[in-house]
Amino acid sequence: MKRTHLAAALVAVLVLSACSTKAGDSGSSGSDSSGVKTGKGVTATEVTLGVMTDKSGVFKNLGLGVTQGNELWAKDFNAAGGVCGRQVKLEEVDHGYKADTAKTLYPQIEPKVLGFVQLLGSPVVAALKQNLASDKTTAAPASWSSELLDNPYVMIVGTTYDLEIIDGLSYLQEQGLVKDGDTIGHIYIDGEYGKNGLRGSQFYAKKHSLTLKEVKITSTDSDLTNVVTGLKGAGVKAIVLTTTPTQTGSTVGANKALGLNVPVLGNNPTFDPALLKSPAAGALDKLTIVASSVPFSADLPKAKDVAAKYKAAYKETPNGGVPYGYAVGEVWGAVLKKACDNKDLTREGIAAALKQTTSASTDNLVAALDFSKPGTPATRQVYAATPDASAEGGVKYVKPLFEAPEAKEYVAPHQK
Amino acid sequence: MSDQAVSEVDTPPPAAEPPREARRGPARLVRKAAWLALLVVLLALPLYLDAAWLKAGQYMMIGAVGAIGLTLVVGQAGQLSLAHAFFLLAGGTAYTVLSGPTGDERVAGFGLDPGLSLLGAVVVAALLGLAFAPVAGRLRGIYLGVASLALVFLGLYFGQSAEELTGGTSTGRTPASFSLFGFPFTNDGPEISLLGVPIRQAERMWYLFLLLTVLAFVIARGAVRGRVGRSWRAVRDNEAAAAVMGVSVLRAKAGAFAVSSAYGGLAGAMTVLWFDILKPDESEFGTYGINVSIAYLAMVIIGGLGSVPGALVGALIVNGLPQVLALYSADLGWFSGTGDGALTPILVSSFVYGAAIVLVVLFEPGGLAAIGRRLTRLRRQPPEES
Repeated sequence: MKRTHLAAALVAVLVLSACSTKAGDSGSSGSDSSGVKTGKGVTATEVTLGVMTDKSGVFKNLGLGVTQGNELWAKDFNAAGGVCGRQVKLEEVDHGYKADTAKTLYPQIEPKVLGFVQLLGSPVVAALKQNLASDKTTAAPASWSSELLDNPYVMIVGTTYDLEIIDGLSYLQEQGLVKDGDTIGHIYIDGEYGKNGLRGSQFYAKKHSLTLKEVKITSTDSDLTNVVTGLKGAGVKAIVLTTTPTQTGSTVGANKALGLNVPVLGNNPTFDPALLKSPAAGALDKLTIVASSVPFSADLPKAKDVAAKYKAAYKETPNGGVPYGYAVGEVWGAVLKKACDNKDLTREGIAAALKQTTSASTDNLVAALDFSKPGTPATRQVYAATPDASAEGGVKYVKPLFEAPEAKEYVAPHQK
Repeated sequence: MSDQAVSEVDTPPPAAEPPREARRGPARLVRKAAWLALLVVLLALPLYLDAAWLKAGQYMMIGAVGAIGLTLVVGQAGQLSLAHAFFLLAGGTAYTVLSGPTGDERVAGFGLDPGLSLLGAVVVAALLGLAFAPVAGRLRGIYLGVASLALVFLGLYFGQSAEELTGGTSTGRTPASFSLFGFPFTNDGPEISLLGVPIRQAERMWYLFLLLTVLAFVIARGAVRGRVGRSWRAVRDNEAAAAVMGVSVLRAKAGAFAVSSAYGGLAGAMTVLWFDILKPDESEFGTYGINVSIAYLAMVIIGGLGSVPGALVGALIVNGLPQVLALYSADLGWFSGTGDGALTPILVSSFVYGAAIVLVVLFEPGGLAAIGRRLTRLRRQPPEES
């Protein structure tokens, strides 16, 4: 009886030592026949890009949209000939919006990819920050916080939250809705997203001697009536939001119900077309949205093209993640082509090519991007729009891409 | 779920210790040999497993250390605690602050040696647990559970507002990478290789975590088998009887809470090292949220309340399953569906661990530990019976 146990244990040890150890499996690198340097994630026929997305967690709809956008881009990019004679392949994993799962999946996917075309979820991006830097992997996070820009391998496709708010406030002032010296309120979710937006209001308030009433909430709060009541008591002339769409609905609803009726400014993530069917629909007229990427059914040739291709390829209900996912792909495409011209498809080559990318165009899916200055947001432009149930996509543009003078002056946290 | 946990506490499972005779003679040797063999296997694993699997293994070890601490206070001392996530946060923050560089204008740091900081984190968490002792001494069962849950919310608040310590929710802060007596647990330092396998960050961290887990395990077993453990169980089973026998009830309760918090603190410091970042949660669900407290309780219930080896297995299931399934499915292309109603590894593992809790509570309140005991007894007895 004692022997069986011992024997079992010994067998286990022997079996383990009999298999060969993992020694000697290191990444291949070198140059191909045409002199293009290659490294991890690049073979003679393929360039593999990673997608770390959320297919099962709280952002699975967005994650699915962005992933499908990535896939559509890869299909188009390959049909147009790929890069350096190689086709782009996507390696997708699902982390379910859990940082711990992402942290484990990363070492598995990292050796297979050149970089990441999608990295969804701010807790995930935060947990992988060190890895991206030490592995020199360029990644496009689906988060627009300028705090992320201290990492030179982070490529933010779009305007950061702080700049969205600055541009938006400047638009409100231009429309005569806010004057110097007014009091404004800012409701923000305590976290990477909300706090970065708050930086924008703080900057703008200082510039125009506005009194800023900051209200911190958590992402799970759903009824903001008491917050709006408090802001009414403080005599605010406008309310700025960096919140979830549900919270936006609650704010505009309370704004109307309490008779406050001040303009409400929200950035890209605050609005969801679903709000137009919610009880808050009647109060949305006071809302102005500023964003740098377009909604799914935007009235742009490229957006229409992507939408048509989407409908042919997928059956799910599309969302704003699709054109964004496509746009990130377009930027990656531009960077890959630049790296190919430089004959360097290694990770270092990609990072260098990214810095040389001064005007990545996505046919207006996102404002034109300039990645040449690390630490500086790639664009400072936004669209202004208002909710409109009759318009396709639920919003009507009230001002095309613009950059406020204050946004030009703003110094991002990691800008040099 | 907490209801079930409470009934567990009120009617404790059969003594968590193995029966006396099992610890005598050849059986004891066999046990020793089995543990030793397990240790050898665990020591050899880094030579065979890829970094991703090592990372998953390290995460299970974090769970194991935390679960051992929780099983002591919930199972051995009979005090329901939902505060484990708070002590994780406290330990993680303490490690990061103690080892953090001095002179950083944004965040506080003491610039201590990482090894010392790890010890400091354990001490800080233990002191916080001790500070909670007056509450723990007065309340029992579900009331204590709710009171301890308040700590998680305090942790959420302080994590967000004490930006000098935690780095704040928008960026968090990077902890000092671990080193012991000048030996770095990163890719830097001396190039070591074992049987042709370079021992780099993933492998080094594995050995560090393994060492911490073994220490945690051995100390917990010692406590359970010794005088301390007996006094905990006496208090759990009947406070009046324990007092009559000369056990200081308040002291035993406070001690159990402090020890459990110390384990939580160690698990927290390991968490921060594993994530390479300390970032306070943005809502009550996160790395240090209610969900984590409940996950630890789940490990303890699945493993068998009060059983130290059971806590290890519980951690393997609760912390390990989502990771292992995610890795496998990425390798094999399982559950690659998308959209609504798609089966994903994370969903599957949630079901498995939910079902495990229900099954354990319904059919085997003693948890996997009880099943394990029954199995080893069955295999030992037939020869004598037949």
